[in-house]
Amino acid sequence: MLPASLDEAVTALAASPAAVPVAGGTDLMGAVNAGLLRPMALIGLGRINELRGWQYQDGTAQLGAGLTHARMGRPDFAALMPALAEAARSAGPPQVRNAGTLGGNIVTADPAGDTLPVLAALEATVTLVGPEGGREVPVSHLLTGLDPMRGGELLGYVRVPLLHAPQVFLKATGRTGPSRAVASVALVLDPGRRAVRCAVGAVAPVPLRPLEAEQWVSGCIDWDGDRAIDPAAAAAFGEYVAAACVPEPQPAGLPDSQPDGMEGGPAAAAARLRRTVSVLARRALGRALK
Amino acid sequence: MTLPSSSGDDNNLTAPGPGVRQGDPGSATGAALGGGTATAATTTATTVGGGTLTQPRIPAQVAERGEGADGTEAAEPVGLGTSPIRADALAKAMGTFPYAADLWAEGLLWGAVARSPYAHARILSIDYGPALAIPGVYAVVTAADLRLGPTGQPDGAPSGPIVQDRPVFAADVVRHFGEPVAAVAADHPDTARLAAAAITVAYEPLEPLTDPEAAFTAPPIHPDGNLFRHQPVRFGDPEVVGDVVVEGLYKVGRQDPAPIGAEAGLAVPRPDGGVELHVASTDPHGDRDRAAHCLGLEPDRVRLVVSGVPGATADREDVGFQVALGLLAIRTGHPVKMALTREESFLTHPHRHPALLRYRHHADAEGRLLKVEAQLLLDGGAYAEVSSEALAAAAAMAAGPYVVPHVFVDAWAVRTNNPPAGRMRGEGSLQTCFAYESQLDRLAAALDLDRLEIRRRNAMSTGDLLPTGQAVTCPAPVSELLDALAAEPLPPLPVDQPDDEWLLPGGPGGAGDPAAVRRGIGYAVGMVHILGAEGADEVSTASVRVSGSQASVMCTAVDTGTGFSTLARQIVQDVLGITDVYIAPVDTDQPPAGPSARGRQTWVSGGAVERAALMVRHQLLQPLAMQFGMSPELLTISDGKITSYDGVLGMPVLQALEGKDLWATAQCRPHPTEPLDSETGQGDAFVGLAFCAMRAVVDVDVELGTVRVVELAVAQDVGRALNPEQIEARIEAGATQGLGLALMEDLVSEGGRISNASFTRYRLPTSLDAPAIRVVALLEERDVVAPFGAKAVGAAPATVAPAAVAAAVRAATGRQVNRLPIPAEDVAL
Ligand SMILES: Cc1cc2nc3c(=O)[nH]c(=O)nc-3n(C[C@H](O)[C@H](O)[C@H](O)COP(=O)(O)OP(=O)(O)OC[C@H]3O[C@@H](n4cnc5c(N)ncnc54)[C@H](O)[C@@H]3O)c2cc1C
Repeated sequence: MLPASLDEAVTALAASPAAVPVAGGTDLMGAVNAGLLRPMALIGLGRINELRGWQYQDGTAQLGAGLTHARMGRPDFAALMPALAEAARSAGPPQVRNAGTLGGNIVTADPAGDTLPVLAALEATVTLVGPEGGREVPVSHLLTGLDPMRGGELLGYVRVPLLHAPQVFLKATGRTGPSRAVASVALVLDPGRRAVRCAVGAVAPVPLRPLEAEQWVSGCIDWDGDRAIDPAAAAAFGEYVAAACVPEPQPAGLPDSQPDGMEGGPAAAAARLRRTVSVLARRALGRALK
Repeated sequence: MTLPSSSGDDNNLTAPGPGVRQGDPGSATGAALGGGTATAATTTATTVGGGTLTQPRIPAQVAERGEGADGTEAAEPVGLGTSPIRADALAKAMGTFPYAADLWAEGLLWGAVARSPYAHARILSIDYGPALAIPGVYAVVTAADLRLGPTGQPDGAPSGPIVQDRPVFAADVVRHFGEPVAAVAADHPDTARLAAAAITVAYEPLEPLTDPEAAFTAPPIHPDGNLFRHQPVRFGDPEVVGDVVVEGLYKVGRQDPAPIGAEAGLAVPRPDGGVELHVASTDPHGDRDRAAHCLGLEPDRVRLVVSGVPGATADREDVGFQVALGLLAIRTGHPVKMALTREESFLTHPHRHPALLRYRHHADAEGRLLKVEAQLLLDGGAYAEVSSEALAAAAAMAAGPYVVPHVFVDAWAVRTNNPPAGRMRGEGSLQTCFAYESQLDRLAAALDLDRLEIRRRNAMSTGDLLPTGQAVTCPAPVSELLDALAAEPLPPLPVDQPDDEWLLPGGPGGAGDPAAVRRGIGYAVGMVHILGAEGADEVSTASVRVSGSQASVMCTAVDTGTGFSTLARQIVQDVLGITDVYIAPVDTDQPPAGPSARGRQTWVSGGAVERAALMVRHQLLQPLAMQFGMSPELLTISDGKITSYDGVLGMPVLQALEGKDLWATAQCRPHPTEPLDSETGQGDAFVGLAFCAMRAVVDVDVELGTVRVVELAVAQDVGRALNPEQIEARIEAGATQGLGLALMEDLVSEGGRISNASFTRYRLPTSLDAPAIRVVALLEERDVVAPFGAKAVGAAPATVAPAAVAAAVRAATGRQVNRLPIPAEDVAL
């Protein structure tokens, strides 16, 4: 089925509740090909033009769920939502970015989904459209399962505030080419509220917000001046974020008990992850305040 | 038994796709059946959709020689030492080259395998009733359907290249995660998978043995015990002590060959009760013999036809896959096709041996090596496979390409409940290269010596002894390789470049910060042995035929992507002066050429092709020489013309042939080797050695622990460059594979359960990870005993690259870097 409008799609889904919506198919078809999923029917969302674009709406941007990563990575989009653009540019190889969509990334809700920490930091909301009409849900409620998607609903739009201030997304991976995030950090400045908002991706099932660290660092910034920050404060912010988001490594015996620098084990890996998050958060703050 | 197609006539063959030559693997004739004893062929294998493609067929051979449609010949060099492009390059680039997964036969069924969810468990019962009850399921087979064991009970028909211990289906105990327990044939691939999942197996989980160090004391997990082999090497005086002593413990992870195409194949039953297997085998005769043995058939009733091989770096498939396929075909009387999922592929095919290596190097104050002590432990996984062979290489080459008067090694290969390990470029020698080269870096640091200088001071050369007592008789240009690297300018630092044009570790738009990036330079040199070792009968047979203006080569050396077919063509062009050379497809009706592994085909099969071609040449020239009244040696053939040395007399080849067909068959068998002594490790175990030196330049983000390899510079000992471009391609492939092991590739076993059997989780180097690979020298010092004087080229760069990358990371960070792949926590400061 290839509905041409969101309404048609919702109707089609209501008519065949076992059907599965497919946008770019970059997540879904992998599961189908691996035999993990055998959908009775597919509802292709690719022809729904209203979902493929974005528009302004009183101080916010309303993003169609069908926006591809490639589209979000373009300069016009990046000028307004730089962190989301950076996340989109870093998601997979070009073939995947040409097909994969914002909506698919959210619904898949992979812990390493790159747009998720950005949406969390932006405190974005999503519009879920079902047979009874639409409802607006904070993205964090959707991801944590506090307010999950209901049967027969489609993800229509994502609303993000336009903050007109620096935003950064940084992703640490295990190779130079496109790869899953080991950890990612999204950081946005909200000068209107004199706030720094930050979310850490890939280290937990959902993006984590280090609220105390955000609050603390917001107080360290000279909002009326050049928005500079002392490097020591930026480093402390990194540590603060990491401590909040990555559990303390459990030392497995003495660190020196391994011979010849054969340091290893889960404790070392956890310590490493903490350090990675700390460096990412510090660098993100530094780039935002540059 | 229903036979999908009653006759073997060629009318139901669909034409191959563009770029596929008639007779190539997967082309209609290449995959066509009906050889051997079954003259009435049962069915026809062709490629999917081959006939529906509308583009005109591009004859690869013509396109390759650069002949236009009008037949005008573009001048392309032919023969040895030139670099003609591969005959299959066009088809592969256009996506029309047929691989095993593209095979098709009328009325085929689909196979699927039921696998163990445990790394170690006892099978209490198997109930396949639920699977058989599913509509569309034709057959379920288990160990009970295979040849029975010596006691008359099913034992899963264990087989193996050296030790016969790996069952096709586990009979009583499963010993690794993903081990096959049953297989299903059904009319649809989904049905087959569903049915495989419906087979109910009652298991009693047993404690998995996954730590190779525990294998010595753990209860045996197989009746043969947990030790595959212990190989000591005792060379010199154990009491010697050096002025400087450095020690290290090194660890190498589990690399997967990760072929681009997962295992797939087609089996077709034969009227004589046998079966024809169309699979991407790299050892057709070996696999045929083992498959026949497991099926309880005479080898003559199993015919193996090699289809297009989608990637192999030595071993590719386990024979169990082929046997399961064949058994289902025999059982159902239908052709059966099976294509493994990527996850299954990761679980079943052989991996690189994970290793733990403990070293102590003694040197004098000038940095000359006195003594090397080493303890090497290879994790062979659940079954023997070729672990004892890899172990011999590891033990014998434990000290590296250096002159060391006293060497004491103990090497063990053990059985664990991890997935079986096998051959992968440089098996055994790669692991030790990482360790001994790391040790040399430590020694250089301890003595405050230049890292190239300490290697030069100890470099091996022709005439020196290996720790096995074998004299190195082939060229061993270790110093020359190091000199070539030393003379090579370094890649520029990105100082004058804007930061955003600098490809940082972590990639474009990544988290890399130029302020935290440090550059490091590392060197490594290493060696591999060529051909099978320790008395293996290395032999290959080839036939060459000349008929009209075309020559044909019949040789069952599988071109796994190594370019052997191109080489065979070049050899014949060189010897016979005929440019149009046809390479026949490979099946087991022809004499064996042995496995395409251990860098052997250039030597044995290349040698056999050359000999056969020379015999044909003699047949061609002898009568003419008589006629001209001169010896055949004074005649040359080129451009289809025979000419006397003085250019006075001449005759076209076609005329000299007088309409005759000339045939010759020849074998090539290198000088014999002997096993290593089981107590001293002494013995002339190797046919030849090849050397490679590499310089790695890396950028490291020392805060995040991310690494990008900027450049690999390679100097390699090739004996003679038979096809320089092909060699560079092999070096690029090997070096990139080595880089993958150094930085990211590791198949993770968590209590025996493989947790990253997918390409999202098992990271391979992408084009952004692959650095500039510069071949700075191909040293051509001919090996007089090798055909053409050439050495194998694929394994050496893969062996040395991990050590070179590790050395560069060490230089950039000052950290020890003792583990491969190098974890971020071993890199960051
Ligand atoms: C090689 C590769 C690399 C990748 N790398 C990355 C990466 O680096 N970072 C990253 O974040 N992701 C990555 N991905 C994952 C994937 O590309 C993204 O998650 C992408 O955004 C998914 O979008 P899609 O349109 O393809 O989703 P689909 O596959 O079409 O759908 C995914 C799921 O969402 C549902 N769905 C889609 N749209 C809607 C809608 N409007 N309403 C309701 N349900 C919907 C589908 O039913 C399905 O369950 C990678 C994937 C591949 C194959």
